[in-house]
Amino acid sequence: MDSTALCTLRDCTFAYSGEGAALRNVTLHVRAGELVMLVGPSGCGKTTATRLVNGLAPRHFTGTLTGHACTGGLEASRAPLESHARVVGSVFQNPKTQYFHARSTDELAFPCENAGMPAPQIRERVRQVAARFGIADLLDRAIVNLSGGQQQRFAVASAAVLEPAVMVLDEPTSNLDTASMARLHGMIAALKADGVAIVIAEHRLAWCADLVDRYCVFDGGELLGTYTAREFEALPATQREAWGLRALDVSEDRARIAALARAPHTSHGEGTPVLGTRGLEVGYRKRALFRRGVEFSLRIPDVDVYGGQIVGIMGRNGAGKSTFARTLCGLQAPLAGTVELGGESARASALSRAAALVMQDVHYQLFAESVRAEVMLETVQAGGELAAAREQCDALLGELDLLDVADRHPMSLSGGQKQRLAIAVALMGKKRFVVLDEPTSGLDRAHMMQVGALLRELADRGVAVLVITHDDELAAHWCDRILALD
Amino acid sequence: MTQQSALPTAQDAKRRLAVPDYINIGVFSALYFMIVALCALASNIAFGVAGNLLLPAFAALLAGPVFMLLNARVRAFGAITTMGVVLGLFLFVFGHFATSLVTGIAFPLLGDLVARLGAYRNKAALLGGYVLFSFGCAGPILPIWLMKGAYIASLERKGKDSAYIASLFDHVNMATFAGAMLAIVVGALAGGVFGLVLLRRHFAKAGVTQ
Amino acid sequence: MTAAARAAGVRTRALRLDPRAKLTMLAVANVLMFLHAGPAAQSLAVVLFSLPLLFGGKAAAGVRMLAVYGVLCAVEWASALGVDRLPWLHIAGATAAGVCMMMPCLTAGMAMFATTRPGDMVCAMRRMRAPDALVIPVVVMMRFFPTIRHDYRLIRQSLRLRGFAGGGMALARHPLRSLEYILVPLLMNAANVARDLTVAGLARGLGAPGEPTSMVELRMRAVDWLAVALSLAPLAVAAVTG
Repeated sequence: MDSTALCTLRDCTFAYSGEGAALRNVTLHVRAGELVMLVGPSGCGKTTATRLVNGLAPRHFTGTLTGHACTGGLEASRAPLESHARVVGSVFQNPKTQYFHARSTDELAFPCENAGMPAPQIRERVRQVAARFGIADLLDRAIVNLSGGQQQRFAVASAAVLEPAVMVLDEPTSNLDTASMARLHGMIAALKADGVAIVIAEHRLAWCADLVDRYCVFDGGELLGTYTAREFEALPATQREAWGLRALDVSEDRARIAALARAPHTSHGEGTPVLGTRGLEVGYRKRALFRRGVEFSLRIPDVDVYGGQIVGIMGRNGAGKSTFARTLCGLQAPLAGTVELGGESARASALSRAAALVMQDVHYQLFAESVRAEVMLETVQAGGELAAAREQCDALLGELDLLDVADRHPMSLSGGQKQRLAIAVALMGKKRFVVLDEPTSGLDRAHMMQVGALLRELADRGVAVLVITHDDELAAHWCDRILALD
Repeated sequence: MTQQSALPTAQDAKRRLAVPDYINIGVFSALYFMIVALCALASNIAFGVAGNLLLPAFAALLAGPVFMLLNARVRAFGAITTMGVVLGLFLFVFGHFATSLVTGIAFPLLGDLVARLGAYRNKAALLGGYVLFSFGCAGPILPIWLMKGAYIASLERKGKDSAYIASLFDHVNMATFAGAMLAIVVGALAGGVFGLVLLRRHFAKAGVTQ
Repeated sequence: MTAAARAAGVRTRALRLDPRAKLTMLAVANVLMFLHAGPAAQSLAVVLFSLPLLFGGKAAAGVRMLAVYGVLCAVEWASALGVDRLPWLHIAGATAAGVCMMMPCLTAGMAMFATTRPGDMVCAMRRMRAPDALVIPVVVMMRFFPTIRHDYRLIRQSLRLRGFAGGGMALARHPLRSLEYILVPLLMNAANVARDLTVAGLARGLGAPGEPTSMVELRMRAVDWLAVALSLAPLAVAAVTG
């Protein structure tokens, strides 16, 4: 075995408590200054591998480990987690739930405080890490007010503040837009140049392809193979697709998106558009009592959306996509202009009746105790005809492949099933247009294509579909037109 | 080399609290505090200062699910007490009279002991524990009786006749105190039952409990 | 004053008192209330305890507290004038007097809440030897509060799109249902956040045996001791005037 490796997994088999093996006979090693990428479809075991590297398994994620998992001289099953925290920095997928403190500077000091560093040294380290990663202008702010990209940068900086020898990142770009991914790339490059051993488990390959030294391909808990970067790039794209991986090179997709964005937005279809905007300006005013003026505003080009179309809404985070979506759904008043429903200017209540919004975090929209009850919710409350509704509900569940989970609690479903449930609810409510907010963030290729197919199915029923996304592949393969809000 | 991992299992109600439990306590205490703050706002607007008498009952009614879910996630001694202590501290730092601190620690501790009798699973013990816990919020009620003394003292300082107001307040004293306490019991029982219902219908099925 | 300089602990023009000095104010306020202190001591206390707000960069809050106190005193005084002829004015007077009695506590509390940074509060707690069992929940609470409002708003928006229009009417007519639809997603999300926070915290070394240190170095400076001394003044006044 490579004796210069900082992280070693030798013949590791790991099973979470009460479950089957998540990893089987996996062997890999990472040396200082190397960037190893763990890739594979959802559930392939790459996250479990990262947990063995940073020690969270089996100490926190309990289970049975056979084999040898060693990072920086620490055994995963023997060393306490706080020792691992000094040697390994960890970054997780969701920037919103990763930060421990309310204020940004405290978050950077957090690992140092836990490690028992004296105060002047902590202040010096915080200053250093902020300068090194270019986040000095974000210090001393409330983290909840930062964008997802900024929050994730703080997560990386906080993981790096103890100057660990190893960094482990689990799908760090899931919720990030292109600009944020570029900044993250810069941070990873800086870490690599400093000789840190980096392990990244990811679906999206394109953003750091130029930095990766080796790829480890996983599937079903087994390591299919290890390739150097050059070998990996030389593989045919179909092979990577067969492994369930996302595209290594998205330039083609970007070109197609640019072409779609150039198409005219108004009066290009037959009949009346379901949705239209005229002179729309979205945003919100300053909230203080005596201050007037506008806090944020975005002018939307006039757009018509016809039933049966899938329109992609793209733009960097903070550009106003969510505000636009909320205004379309009648949840927020526009600053100027109107939203038209079926060709006529519509009030907020009418828009709310006609709209469905599938949020990125579906937790905020599921209220019932079973899948069937969720779809029947509005009918039951309105006191409608139950028998006919129930037939329709079961038909919908069958079409969306949810019939065998019809009695389970919505929150116990997988992410994809929850999305389909939200769509079922929208269809049951006979909504005329559906807005989806980042439906494919964190999904592998197969699931991304499934979501695309679902959108197509939805559109084919005559619903107008709008997708807010920064997923180039989804937009290029499935959208009929693109509205670029930059 | 095979090794079973070493974290304590859920079945052991005697286990000591650890970091995951402290974080659960923090998150659910924040929710409980928000509910108390909202109830305080609502009852003070609707009923004026006298609203403080009904505030613990309202809060107990609404916060049942919060208490029950925290318990379902921790199921060990100390969680309820710690939540009470943390809430009491927060209330104190926000300017409530220090009696909030005393009631905020004593009653949750009693509640924790009662719930422990049922190994944090028996429904009757949990309800009893929640009723006792809800009295921890009764701290803000006590100053009202101090206020009566203060007003009478200020009247006397001005040389006014305090007989009228003293008689008014005396009438208010006995009945309202008993009424407020009874309201808390009723509110907590209702809220606790609601919490247990939600636990069964939603949280247990969704897998967020132990 | 750049964010970086502020973070490095350079003192700004705003007054920053040690949390322990502010805790002393709170304690004094409580004692005053317990002793039924008279108006002289009470007024002095309210004015003194609003100083950290006025000089600590939260002047608006300080002015608000003083204004509220002023209004309450006026109401009490006016009702005392007319109470001989209109006995029901006693109620207004009693309410005003009651709230006035709480004002020193509320003002000290507002000063504590508005001018203490979370990091200072945690450092003060650790210096007073508070255990992890107290410090961690407090930190998590302070971090989780802002997200509750955000979550609530998202839930209300979802409900609106589902046809359960918000507002007081729906709440009053179907209280249990409304409560369930709001609390269940809120609590689910709280459980998920708790799960993720635990993983993130453990990965950053939380819960290690031994005392964690603090980036902030709290020291009682001359101005802190002065604040403590000044805050004892109302006690002296109360002792003298009764």
